[in-house]
Amino acid sequence: MRCSLQAVALWGKKAPPHSITAIMITDDQQTIVTGSQEGQLCLWNLSPELKISAKELLFGHSASVTCLAKARDFSKQPYVVSAAENGEMCVWNVTNGQRVEKATLPYRHTAICYYHCSFRMTGEGWLLCCGEYQDVLIIDAKSLAVIHTFISSQSPDWINCLCIVHSMRIQEDSLLVVSVAGELKVWDLSSTINSIQEKQDVYEKESKFLDSLNCRAIRFCTYTERLLLVVFSKCWKVYDYCDFSLLRTEVSRSGQFFAGGEVLAAHRIIIWTEDGHSFIYQLLNRWAQMGAAYKTFSGLSKSIYPADGRVLKETIYPHLLCSTSVQENKGLSFVMGYMNERKEPFYKILFSGEVSGRITLWHIPDVPVSKFDGSPREIPITATWTLQDNFDKHHTMSIIDHVPGAGTVVVTSSEYVSSLDKLICGCEDGTILITQALNAAKAGLLEGGSLLKDSLPHKVLKGHHQSVTSLLYPHGLSSKLDQSWLLSGDQDSCVILWNIFTEEVLHKFFLEAGPVTSLLMSPENFRLRSDQVICCVCSDHSVALLHLEGKRCLLHARKHLFPVRMIKWHPVENFLIVGCADDSAYIWEIETGTLERHETGERARIILNCCDDSQLLKPEFALPVTSETHKHKSVEQRPSSSCQFGPIPCPGLQVESSWKVADVKPFSGPFNVLPVKTRWSDIGFHILLFDLENLVELLLPTPVCDVDPSNSFYGSEILRRAKSTVEKKTLTLKRNKTASGSLSAEAQAKPVSENPAQGENTAKSLGDNEGIKRQKKIKNSKKMHPKPSRKVDANITIDTAKLFLSCFLPWGVDKEFDNLCIKHLDILKLQGSVSLGLASNEDHFSLMLPGWDLCNAEMKKDYSKVNLFSKKVLDLSNKYMSTLPNQVGMPRGLENNCDSSQESNTLNTIVYLLNRLFAVNKLVNTPLELACGIDRSFKMESVHKARIPGNEISNISSFYGYLRNGKSESHIPEADISLLKLISCWRDQSVQVTEAIQAVLLAEVQQHMKNLSKRAGNGQPVSMTEDVHCEMRQILQETEWTREEIELHCTTDTLPLQTPVSPVKHDSDSNSAKFQDTEDMPDRCVLEESESPGKPRHHSWIAKVCSCKLC
Amino acid sequence: MATAMAATAAERAVLEEEFRWLLHDEVHAVLRQLQDILKEASLRFTLPCSGTGTEGPAKQENFILGSCSTDQVKGVLTLQGDALSQADVNLKIPRNNQLLHFAFREDKQWKLQQIQDARNHVSQAIYLLANRDESYQFRTGAEVLKLMDAVMLQLTRARNRLTTPATLTLPEIAASGLTRMFAPALPSDLLVNVYINLNKLCLTVYQLHALQPNSTKNFRPAGGAVLHSPGAMFEWGSQRLEVSHVHKVECVIPWLNDALVFFTVSLQLCQQLKDKISVFSSYWSYRPF
Repeated sequence: MRCSLQAVALWGKKAPPHSITAIMITDDQQTIVTGSQEGQLCLWNLSPELKISAKELLFGHSASVTCLAKARDFSKQPYVVSAAENGEMCVWNVTNGQRVEKATLPYRHTAICYYHCSFRMTGEGWLLCCGEYQDVLIIDAKSLAVIHTFISSQSPDWINCLCIVHSMRIQEDSLLVVSVAGELKVWDLSSTINSIQEKQDVYEKESKFLDSLNCRAIRFCTYTERLLLVVFSKCWKVYDYCDFSLLRTEVSRSGQFFAGGEVLAAHRIIIWTEDGHSFIYQLLNRWAQMGAAYKTFSGLSKSIYPADGRVLKETIYPHLLCSTSVQENKGLSFVMGYMNERKEPFYKILFSGEVSGRITLWHIPDVPVSKFDGSPREIPITATWTLQDNFDKHHTMSIIDHVPGAGTVVVTSSEYVSSLDKLICGCEDGTILITQALNAAKAGLLEGGSLLKDSLPHKVLKGHHQSVTSLLYPHGLSSKLDQSWLLSGDQDSCVILWNIFTEEVLHKFFLEAGPVTSLLMSPENFRLRSDQVICCVCSDHSVALLHLEGKRCLLHARKHLFPVRMIKWHPVENFLIVGCADDSAYIWEIETGTLERHETGERARIILNCCDDSQLLKPEFALPVTSETHKHKSVEQRPSSSCQFGPIPCPGLQVESSWKVADVKPFSGPFNVLPVKTRWSDIGFHILLFDLENLVELLLPTPVCDVDPSNSFYGSEILRRAKSTVEKKTLTLKRNKTASGSLSAEAQAKPVSENPAQGENTAKSLGDNEGIKRQKKIKNSKKMHPKPSRKVDANITIDTAKLFLSCFLPWGVDKEFDNLCIKHLDILKLQGSVSLGLASNEDHFSLMLPGWDLCNAEMKKDYSKVNLFSKKVLDLSNKYMSTLPNQVGMPRGLENNCDSSQESNTLNTIVYLLNRLFAVNKLVNTPLELACGIDRSFKMESVHKARIPGNEISNISSFYGYLRNGKSESHIPEADISLLKLISCWRDQSVQVTEAIQAVLLAEVQQHMKNLSKRAGNGQPVSMTEDVHCEMRQILQETEWTREEIELHCTTDTLPLQTPVSPVKHDSDSNSAKFQDTEDMPDRCVLEESESPGKPRHHSWIAKVCSCKLC
Repeated sequence: MATAMAATAAERAVLEEEFRWLLHDEVHAVLRQLQDILKEASLRFTLPCSGTGTEGPAKQENFILGSCSTDQVKGVLTLQGDALSQADVNLKIPRNNQLLHFAFREDKQWKLQQIQDARNHVSQAIYLLANRDESYQFRTGAEVLKLMDAVMLQLTRARNRLTTPATLTLPEIAASGLTRMFAPALPSDLLVNVYINLNKLCLTVYQLHALQPNSTKNFRPAGGAVLHSPGAMFEWGSQRLEVSHVHKVECVIPWLNDALVFFTVSLQLCQQLKDKISVFSSYWSYRPF
């Protein structure tokens, strides 16, 4: 779980490609959601004046998105479901861009329909899905699990499209589908809900062969409840819903393919084509025309219907009223949709998304009419927008913009070396730029940073003649290799080995095999004469092995007919096993360079699967064109220990695993640059990743500070199982001991301790002794994971922290305050809003797009504010401020007269702020289920929890030897508790993490500045280092505390949510903490008493206090 | 090294011209060829022709399934498009020299999902290609690559449907509708499964015997497999059963063989077209969409 990862995107001048494959507008007409071939979703803001602006890009799918649909009653929850080519399904919250649910099923959906029947259904409703499988799947909208299927008794086949018919007349919802073979089938929906829930087979009620192929849409006219519109790619037809008799067939012009349609009103329909045209027709009835020339069918239907009944077939013919078209880009494929909203202020909108990434909207008039002479009227385009428009309108920069000489160079590949903080960029013109990543980012983002521009240290390596397509820094993968080596491959299949320190070319390999698509290194355990070899994949599907020490090419395997998907090494036999996109396997003998075997089909699969134990390297990221994995996997620096990643040899082309943030995990510093390449293009961008947790760890000078609250949380879960309080005492003691020794190791072993804990959740009858044993075991395992020593330059860490603060602080709220920040925190102001991103725990990432901050309507006119995430931030910040005690909780006493201490004060403040943010981040991110999932033995927990902070306090106290009056108490000032309550409250109100962070940051900094100016007045010297450490301690405890609080909340409901109104403390002297302690103490005792009247814990608690006092 | 950086303007012009030719002429030629091949492939699957609809039932083909190693099982299966319309299975049990005979009920058909899926994937591929006929002008190489990727995805799935039969567990086979298709009903100690493996239509007959509740044998339910081996155990209802004999008979379906060849050829064509486009990648990638 790396929820502390914060991201900032540096987009560059060019927008990433977004080839729209699915589009929808949310029910509130505020957001357009598009899905792309590249696998991302894009959220676009739609203003009430129908202006479009891209807001956010969501990364979560690793394959092309096939369809989108709403996943809840939109007024209650703004959720949208997306399905991808490879069977992935995600539910997204489109207001904040967070992924709510994810599942991967072995089904490829082409259409999804949300169905909910509130009075017959429990749960969140169903997603009715069809696609490349027989019949209709019913998927639970909440869990995304398959509930059941609608089965056809006759000629089951794939379903092309579906629609739900709510008929008021017959009081029954029906599901209408058309199969690939052109068979129309009808299932009862509302009356079969029970049978579905009981998993009984439900067969179709009716079926009819429609005599056309490639159905694209089926729509029911809810206005007349009679007509059924079915759009096929070569024709559209109108049926009578009563008996499915054909009323009209309209065939398309040659070269024209219909793509969909919708009923606008009674007898008025809209049909659109694949090339972006649409036509609005009035359906006229011949009889009606005969009677009264220009009256519509609906007016007359009553008079004619009873007369002849069904004797004569009615016929309908269409009259073209209006049309829409797009001027340029004729022929590109479009996906379109129509949104019918009758209520004001909503519009009737026809919308389309192009493969080029352009969105176009047409506002359809309520009553479309033709021109006076009867010829069709052209409806003009209301709005059109692309991602690139956002990029053009708002200032964007790429990370190397300010490197002297870089100018407008297009970066074609890049690699970040965290151990050196070097960003290496291969450019289109063949040069390789090496620059300090942090400085480059600062130069680009911050205002004063432009001063850095000229002095930005950089190197230029010149040796390639064509664009550099791939880079590899071998030392990052294996520490045994020379630190100065860098490999680069270019368009012309020339691979150069550089010494990056002396900037000289050590060797050039000429492969003559087309562009070098990726450079990989053999795993640790594979060595050729004790050296690791470099594997080089070229775009002619050949694989070359390079021996760096020997400066020669060992093998050039050229027989592959299809792109290389997978490379495996057989260390014993000295084989290179190459898996290709057509599921064939080639086995090469490395010594002799001969093709040993070539296998296809089942055998190949076995071969590729069998050597899982040997190391596997998949050139995932570097085959952006050939591989299905659209995204780049620019997963740099995997530590050598974790080389065996994802052996997922999927059959077929869909070897997926895209943008896994998990892959980013093993990076070793608090700061990282993730280069991202996009599929089918050279456009790339960079993401700056800040690891808040790591940053805090590094900045805190003491080992105790490595305590990972989440870890102790898990640990406490284990402890909770122990039933006897006596034993618990011993446990705590043990814990106490180990805590001081292996705290850092614990942080590493988090997942290890987590799993047993969950296991125990199920094993309820676990005895106490067993519990203890297990606890011991975990401890042991923890010790076995020593933390790798991290050597990160302190200056870089501080710079990182400052950059982080600059990026997250909302600037321009108050000019004076800005200046104070610049002065006292020694940070620089942002040039403009940055594109913040959020990496959630798994493989999901959301990035704001340039101009996101102008999407919020209420912030439009307020250009002075820069980087303010949302209006809400200010409110939240004010709330926080009012809860914040005036003095307590802030490092005090900045001695302005001494320069050196000013510096250290700044540092301390920064550390303090980061600590706060980390705690907030952690709190807001803690999933609710985790917080309230366990109702069992919460008493124990509270007891236990009460202890932990105490233990830690005693640790610190022993460490520091001296603590100021009252500060050693294991208590958190009441005000802090209320702050924590406030923050956990935010989480329940689904305040976004970024919002929370900004709000807290703003409030804390404001408070700090206020204090500063006050101090400056009375100049009261207070030593502060201890304070700061105490604060840190407290924050760490706080996280513990809040968890407890939350759990109490959720389990007992005895604690009301009084948080926001908790009293504000105004004591301004340093004794306030003590005051609060005394006030607070009885409180807590009562709490504990009321919940579990066991005595020992009382004693231990007192004992702890005593121990602190002793120290 | 001749490089584009050093290349003269004339060279560039020639390359541009070549690329234009590739996009405007060569791509369409390849697509035409692909379409022809795939149409041929889809004919093998006896796709219902559009417009004409059902012009009578699809033609029936009889396949006699056997195996060279044993003559205990003989099967005659009748394939009608993607459905098994008739089946006659003869099973000789050497133990008591008994000859068992089962046939499909007259009114029932069994869809071979593998064939249906493969056929649908092919028609999807054809549909993708049909939207890009000669009148359509490709503007960028990326566009062609995307189209090829989409087509190849469908073709690979089509091929994989035929080459990889579903791995079923024994309870799944027992629960499948196929066992209920026979008249007279299959005895409870027999299981039947039909699937496609590459170009072959395969019929497996499992003979079962019940495991005694007090049996000393370690009961371990078998997982999913295409072909279970004797000794595989499973639980069905309240009974524990073990496979005692497995009989597998198969027969080559000639048109499936053709279809697989067509798939392979068209996949290679697609890849070659992609490779051709990639040669010019340094040119097309910088063209605006």
